[in-house]
Parts: sequence; structure tokens; C-alpha cells
Amino acid sequence: MKFEHPAGLNPIDRLTVVGRPVDRIDGPLKTTGTALYAHERHDVAPNQAYGVVVGAAIARGRVETIDVRAARAAPGVLAVVTTLDVPRLGRGRMNYAYLFGGAEIQHYHQAIAVVVAETFEQARAAAALIRADYTPEQGRFDLAAEAGHAPLHGDGDEPVHRVGDFETAFAAAPVTLDRTYTTPDQSHVMIEPHATVAVWDGDRLTLWTSNQMIAWSKKAVADILGMPAEKVRVVSPYVGGGFGGKLFVRADAVLAALGAKAAGRPVRVALTRPLVINNTTHRPATIQRIRIGAERDGRITAIAHESTSGNLPDGSPETAVAQTKLLYAGAARMIAMRLARLDLPEGNAMRAPGEAPGMMALEIAIDEMAEALGLDPVEFRIRNDTQVDPAHPGRPFSYRDLVGCLRLGAERFGWSARDPKPASVRDGRWLIGLGVAAGFRNNLLTKSSARVELDRHGVVTVSTDMTDIGTGSYTIIAQTAAEMLGVGLEKVVVRLGDSDFPASAGSGGQWGANNATAGVYAACVRLRDAVARKLGLNATDIDFADGEVMSGDRRVPLGEAAGEGLSAEDGIEYGSLAKDYQQSTFAGHFVEVAVDAHTGETRLRRMLAVCSAGRILNPKSARSQVIGAMTMGAGAALMEKLSVDTRRGFFVNHDLAGYEVPVHADIPHQEVIFLDEADPISSPMKAKGVGELGLCGVGAAIANAIYNATGVRVRDYPITLDTYLDRLPRPA
Amino acid sequence: MYDFTYHKAASLDDAAKLLASAVDAKPIAGGQSLLPMMKFRLASPSDLVDLGTIAGLDRIEAEGGTLTLGAMCRHGAVCTSEVVQKTLPALAHLAGLIGDPAVRHRGTLGGSLANNDPTADYPAAAVSLGATIVTSKREIAAEDFFTGLFETALEPDEIVVAARFPVPEKAAYEKFRNPASRYAMVGVFVAKFPDVVRVAVTGAGASGVFRVPSFEEALSKDFSADALKGLSISTDGLAGDIHASAEYRAHLVGVMARRAVAAANG
Amino acid sequence: MNVTLTVNGETRSAEVPPETTLLVFLREYLNLTGAKTGCDIGDCGACTVILDGKAVNACLMLAAQADGRDVITIEGLATREGLHPLQKVFEETGALQCGFCGPGVILSAKALLDENPAPSKQEIRNALAGNLCRCTGYVKMIDGIQEVAETMRSVPTPALPAASKGEQKHG
Repeated sequence: MKFEHPAGLNPIDRLTVVGRPVDRIDGPLKTTGTALYAHERHDVAPNQAYGVVVGAAIARGRVETIDVRAARAAPGVLAVVTTLDVPRLGRGRMNYAYLFGGAEIQHYHQAIAVVVAETFEQARAAAALIRADYTPEQGRFDLAAEAGHAPLHGDGDEPVHRVGDFETAFAAAPVTLDRTYTTPDQSHVMIEPHATVAVWDGDRLTLWTSNQMIAWSKKAVADILGMPAEKVRVVSPYVGGGFGGKLFVRADAVLAALGAKAAGRPVRVALTRPLVINNTTHRPATIQRIRIGAERDGRITAIAHESTSGNLPDGSPETAVAQTKLLYAGAARMIAMRLARLDLPEGNAMRAPGEAPGMMALEIAIDEMAEALGLDPVEFRIRNDTQVDPAHPGRPFSYRDLVGCLRLGAERFGWSARDPKPASVRDGRWLIGLGVAAGFRNNLLTKSSARVELDRHGVVTVSTDMTDIGTGSYTIIAQTAAEMLGVGLEKVVVRLGDSDFPASAGSGGQWGANNATAGVYAACVRLRDAVARKLGLNATDIDFADGEVMSGDRRVPLGEAAGEGLSAEDGIEYGSLAKDYQQSTFAGHFVEVAVDAHTGETRLRRMLAVCSAGRILNPKSARSQVIGAMTMGAGAALMEKLSVDTRRGFFVNHDLAGYEVPVHADIPHQEVIFLDEADPISSPMKAKGVGELGLCGVGAAIANAIYNATGVRVRDYPITLDTYLDRLPRPA
Repeated sequence: MYDFTYHKAASLDDAAKLLASAVDAKPIAGGQSLLPMMKFRLASPSDLVDLGTIAGLDRIEAEGGTLTLGAMCRHGAVCTSEVVQKTLPALAHLAGLIGDPAVRHRGTLGGSLANNDPTADYPAAAVSLGATIVTSKREIAAEDFFTGLFETALEPDEIVVAARFPVPEKAAYEKFRNPASRYAMVGVFVAKFPDVVRVAVTGAGASGVFRVPSFEEALSKDFSADALKGLSISTDGLAGDIHASAEYRAHLVGVMARRAVAAANG
Repeated sequence: MNVTLTVNGETRSAEVPPETTLLVFLREYLNLTGAKTGCDIGDCGACTVILDGKAVNACLMLAAQADGRDVITIEGLATREGLHPLQKVFEETGALQCGFCGPGVILSAKALLDENPAPSKQEIRNALAGNLCRCTGYVKMIDGIQEVAETMRSVPTPALPAASKGEQKHG
């Protein structure tokens, strides 16, 4: 199905199942511990052996020799494969680090060997016996040191995106801001580490793995191992969190495959937590300079956002400037990115790549600007709202109610009670402050397919390679099929995460919900046609409800209509609506913090997000997504940072005792409000994404609240207490 | 891990014999620190001697101004013990701040003392209260027991059996936790006896627990938080790492000490 | 070496190498994979099980240390009559997303409620301090656990499997 015109009325608009806060259909499996994740697929093959990955101990250079004698001789060892045993393997299309093969070391903890043994402990013990000799080379690990000479890196044809004459407008502006902000390297910290069971059947390979993007990964496995994609099957029905860290095939999958081949047995590999951090991907650090010029009435006349990040050769930048093209009005604009070459592990997507760190900086700048103008920060944002793409005023937003988010949020949060003068509210030893930030994340469209089958019992089975990484895909897909075919959820079976199923959008970029359900919608439309044909009815005047097909006075139970069974496959593809309209999602984030006047410790007190994100397919799972994202935003603001050893070139705090993420005690009252809306330009579902929107802006709202509480403006994340203790107001 | 030999000790004597007989044997109590170290190969004992099977090592007794805790007392048992809560509530409070519930249900007093992690909590209590560490061979004053970073006066085949804590007039423990690991970024234990005040700090010292004579002197004259006003400690010998600088830790020592004194005064 | 323990009310036994952790014992030898391997060093709590009535990290115990003890895993929580109220409430409140931390969180909560049937929000947060979650943001879990505590207090339900509070031994 090609989606070329804004959606009209369709069966989804009945909202008998879609739009309802139903429980997730995979819930019972998860609460009873019976949902099977990759590392526990005892069921898929007998006689599984265990692989343990060995990571390089240098960050750049060559591995000269690898002594595996002791490891091979260790108890239980079945096979050892080293990177010197194979030429450098290919890599996935969107990856910059090579995962295995050859002598060159690109980054610390790059995989150099896998040890396969009868038990996990035997494999781990033998892996510790591997001795590698290296010739290290000097690497570049310090973004700040490289930033000064990092070359421009455009995201389109032009290296610098310009609208009007920024420099002149900025120079002429009566009120200006020119500040630099930094965000650190961050780790996804999904609780399930990357894991794979690899099984060879002749020249066919099946990987039971933990992965967000099945179709990408099938292709990547084929490219990496140099085999035809038809011979690869990737299966990932349950994923213990991803956040972008499992968009790609990683060393666990590649080395499980190589280890299985060498051992002649199925092999199971999970990355250890340190390898998750230094062997896989991370969100790259940024240094962002923001300049804003405004008239005294608060209208922005000039805005510039420049960001520098680093990556391996061939890598891409963290696109932290993305939102600044679109979020606020302003005639003169300049956007640029610089990319430094760094020899750290691969920088790549983490939840809301670009906007997450970009909004952390931009929305502090906006708060600073509002203060300079003497305007309330909510009012300043509203005053600079735009309903069109500022670079192309003929290109409107498909739907945008940022103003509604801010106004409703301010009302619900009690914003009017905020004292704009910093450090003026005390509660015992606590300094109290309120902060606000806008939330913004683009809505991305990508094709997505599904197969829908109807059996003689009226059971509808949906199959698509879409994944559910905790997002609720199983449930919203079931809701979509139930709505389209007029059955209850109990009549719908959803099968996900298998490359034998039609290729979907996959889970990433908060595009999964809208696109994958739109693909299921398309397949259901086709199935409705098939049912109509079978019954000799006209597809345009039949209805599906209560488990029956209805046309005029005729009612046929769906199972009966199916006969021996019907099957339909289709997908959604998009025309030019994404070009004709800017499609984005919006939020207002409000935060109250308390800062200990003696230690600088920040405690969150309340958080509220008001979201404008099209139709909400399932308010319960959408709320969960946003609340979880707000929590991740709290981590980004207050604690999360991969510390770089700039001499040896690796992330030092590579476990969960060193890399801090929010815990129960950090998270207070959180609330989410979804504005009641539908965006007919996004898809027949009229939905958009929320999972990343909930993160974008949260960090800045917290930073702004800390400023309001203390009068200390921190522009470097995370805002840890020791960075501003000396600037705190003296306790009474 | 790797293939080691596991022994269940039937008695203290048995455990001591087993420890003496193997090349590189180690006792295991709760294992909350030892097992991760073995997984990382920071420790690789040839033999593990399990003390968990020895009866009677988890006694909690208060008698004649002394609280005696067996080495196998779990942190969870110490923090919920009515005896401890009544006689030395600061110690119950301290035990409840160790790790998380799962760690407290396994980790032991003896294991914590013997490991002498520079960020562990019990060493601060032991030094501040002037505890006596009772081992399978002798009795050692707490200040002589902790000898440096992860170092104690214990001999290889010597086992911590119990710790005797003199009950003070007043005491309190205030801890600023590393939010990820819950180890002490800084923990200050303050104890007031009729003749002496001791202030012991954990988490901050690069080589483990230490006392703060200047604070003790001030508090001996006037046991109030105000008595510490204006006093600070030098950053010499303090730990600085990715979690906090030495300067920040020095600042926290002052804040936590004042809070501890305030808490001790109720 | 032989390790024999009671798991979810049944005696289970296996010959294992001494370095086998309780977590590996459960997952690999008994195929009880509800307890997850998230970090393997006691940081994340995904491997939480209940040992003699107390929540512990199964990755930080040798199977040998659990010899002769009583273990409850997530697989032992539901009864013939249905799911445990905590399992139900985690579904209803949306307290689980990817589900990987869920079994550990639910067991920590069960261990808490068995000891303290009326916990405050803060007590619940403290009890779950060792259970990391990266998806849900925690508040729904806290709300759900409090809801269960209230229901369990108001409706004395015999369907609840009694907490296994075997005699506390040393280990």
C-alpha cells in the first residue's frame, strides 16, 4: 500500500481496541519468567557449547601473535578462534568498527578471540589464559583536544546549513547569547547484554539473538561472514532492552557463528558487561556552541548551533544540531557539525540520536536567553513557535502543538508559582527550583510489511519481523489487527522478530510503532479484500465487527468466511508526504528539583511531560515509554557519563558499579499527559512515535531547575555535585 | 571462574587446618566481594573454605557494655537485630546502609572486616568504637587490624571469629553513598565515650579507614555539630577518582561529620 | 560435586563443577531461566531469587553455598490457581517493558511483602535498591507493589504460596 495522501476515515478510527490502555499481551510470559531471551534458548538446539569473547587490551595498533596453547589445553575447551585465523571480515552498512578478523586493532576491547567450551565457566577460565602480543600505536582519544582541528561534516550537500545571513543578524541583535555546552559519552545499559545462539545446518546459519532490526541484521550477517543472505536466519522474539545498542549485529553474533563452525556444535555467546561498553557502540560526546540573537520583545532573529563529536574513521557525527533547524522561528540560521577522528569504540545511535544531546544543550541556551530577555521561559518558547519549516516556509508541520504542551504543562505543574529569581526558595537544607524545556523529536517514515492469516476458528495471526524491545510492539500490532478485522484481542496471535517473516520497519528512531502498525494495517486491508472476494462481496461496503463480516443484512462469522484459511501480505510505503510536510513530535517537560545546600546533591521531586505525538495507540504502553525515557533523561542530566582514559583510550567505568544509571530511589513522582490528537499525514494509523520524545529535553529541564534552585548555571553534563559545589549559595 | 577445590568447614579448627594445608586457600563467608574478584581474576585461590557451615558464628550478644557480633552475622541480620538496635543503634543503621538488600542478606561482618575495602562501612565503626577483632588465634585492636588498602593483620590461616564493640554514650554513622555501587564515597562514624571521642572516616582515604584527630579534639571539648564549624581536613592521602575529587571528599568529611554528631545528639 | 537443594518446593540435584554459581545452576542445569544474567557481579539484580526467605543475587553465590537450602525462583511464584498478585499487578500497571529485570524485581518485592506487609513507598524503594531497570522508570513498579500490599492486607487470601522461611542457616 502506498500512502500518498493524508488519511481519511478508516476502520482504525473506530478506536474500539486501538487507543485503549490494554495490558501488554506478552505480559504473562514476562512476569512468569517464561519469555525466552536469546541466551536461554535451550529449546532451539541440543548440545549447545559456550563461547566467551576476548577483547583487545590496546586501543589502537596491531595484534602480532596470540598464544592459545594454554587455552586449548584447558579443561572442556572445544575450539578457539582468533582474529589472526581469519582475514578482516566485512561490516554492517551502518557500522564503522570491524567486528573481527585481521591484525589491526581499531579500539579497545575489539574482539580478538572466542573460546568455546563445554561449560560457561570453563570457557571463561580458558579465555583468561589467552596471551596476545601487540604493537600499540598512539591513538586519539580526547575529544576536547581534537575538536579545534576537526573538519566540517555536513549532513546534506552543504557542509554548513544556512538560512539568511546569520552573522549580520546576530551582530545586529540587541540581546545575544554565545555559550558552549558539552555532553559526555553515554552507554545504553540495556539490562540484557548482547547474546546469541548460533546454529549451522550445512551452509545455513540461524542466529537466535537479541536484536532490534532483523532485516538489517540478516543482511549484515551475510556481509560480515561473506555468505548469501538467503542462507541466514535471524530470530529475536524477545529483547531485553536495546535503546539503539542492538540496532546492529555485534561480536556476540559473529563469534557465536564462527565458534559454532569451529566447534561443530551450536554455540551460545553473551557479551560481558565490560564488553557491552567497550566492544559495542555508545552515544558519542559532543561539544556544542550555540548563539542566539533576539529582539527585546523576545523574537529570535538569529540562531546558530554548531556541534563537534568524534568517531572512528568512516564514522558519522552525533547529529546534535538536528532539532535547531526546526524547533524555533528565526529568520537567520546557521547549523554546522564537525567530526573529529577518535580511536575510541564505535559511536553510534542511542535513543534519540542527535536530538537527545542536542536538546540538552539547546534548551539550556533557550532558558538562558529567556532570562537575559526578562521573559518567562515558557512564554519565550511560545513566542518563538513556528508552524512551518523555517528554512522552507511553504513546508508546514503536519501537526504541531508545542504551544499546547507548554501551556497545559505549565498549568498542571503549577508553573505560575515559580519564583524566577534563582536560589530564592528553601525547604530546610534543600534549595528548591522549577525548570522547563521543550521536547522535540522527528517522526520518521520507513516502509514496513506484515503477513496476516485468518483461520477457520476466526483466529488472526500476524507475522512480521518487527521486534518488541519492551516498547509494546506485540500489543499495538495485536490492537491494530483486532481493530481492522473486528475481533477481540484474544483472537489475535502476533509473531515477531524472525527474518522468515515479512520485513518491517524494526525498532529504532521511535519509528517502530507508527510504521509497523501501518504495515499491519496494509496487510489487514488486503485480507479484508480477500475475505470480501471469497464471500462475493464488495470490499467497500462490508464491515468487520464482533468477529463477523457484515454487508447489508448479511453476517458471516469470520472463521466461516476464512474457509480453510486466508492469508494476505502487504506493507506500507510512503509517497512524498514526508517531503511536503515536516513531521515531528513535541513535548513540554517540567521538573522540580531540590539541591542539598551542603553537598550539592540533587534530588528530583516531580517530573511532568505533556506530549503532542499524534494518535496514541495504547496509552498504557506509551506512558510507560515516556516515563522510562524521562528516567533516562534524569540519568543523562545527573549521572551518566562514560569516563574516557585519554592515555589508554577506553571507557574506564565499564560496569554498572561505575556507570551510574538512575535507581528506584532517584525517581520520584512522574506524570505524562498526551494531548488528544491524530495526525492523518503520518500514516493511516495517524500515530507518531513517543519513545524518544520522552527523553529529548528532560536533561535541560533538570539543568534549568537546578539553576532556578541554586543560581548556578552548569553547561557541562552530567551535572554532578562536585562540579558546582563551590558555587552554591552559602547555607544559612 | 575456574576449577578450584571447595571445602565445607565443619568447625573453626577444621577451617584453619584446611586453610593451612593448601597452597593458596581462602575462606569464603558471604562471598559478595570475593566471588566478583574471582570472576575478574583479581583473586584466584586454589581452594575455598566455606565458613557458612560452621555453627555458632552468627551470635549477637550484648553484655556488660560490650556488643559482640559473630563474624558470620549478615549485614541484614545486624540491621534488623533488636539487640543491636537497642544497644548500638548506630551500628544497626550502618549495616542497613551496606549495599542493597540482596547483598545484605549474604554479606557478613567478618568478610567485610577481613576484606578491608577502603570504601567499606564496618572498618569505620570498628575504629571509631575501638572494637576488638577476635580471630581464631588472638585478639587484635581495630586500629592495629586495618593495615592498609585491602590489607589487614590477619595471617593466611587466621580467621575472624567475632568483633567486640564497646557501647558508647552516643554514636552515629553518616554516609554519602556512591549512587551506583552504594559504597561509601565518604562515611563518618562518630562515637562518644566518657573519656574519649573518636571520629573514623571510610571511603575518603586512599589507603582505607582513618581517624580525624582535629575533629576528635574539638568534639571532646564540645560534642556538638557547631564545634566542628570552620574545621576541615587536608586532601593529603584522600582518594580522588571519577566519582569525586579529593577536594570534594574532604568537603564531604566535614559535612558528614557534622551530620553524624547532630544525629548522635538526637 | 553434588548439589542438592529445594527449588520451588521440589528437591533438585545435579553434579556440577565447584565454580558453578547458583545462577548457572538454575539456568543451565535446571533450565529455570527466569533469573537473568545481566551483569554477573551483583550490580543489576536481574538474577534475584529468594533463598530461605531472603532475596539474594544468584550470580554472587556458589551453587555449593546453596546446598541443602530452599530457593524460590520466578517460575515458582504462580500457583495452579493463577498468577501471584505481584505478577498480575506488574502486567496491569505496565511495570514491565522489555521484561528482563522483571523476575528479579518481582522476587525482591515478594521477599519484602513477606516480611513487611505494609511498606511505605520509601521502604519499597529501599527493598528494590538493587534491581536496576532501564525501561520503565520505576514509578509504576512502586505503585503496583503498594497496590498489592493493600489488597493482600484487606483480603486475606489463602491462595498465596507461603513464603519459604526455612531455618536461616549460615553460608
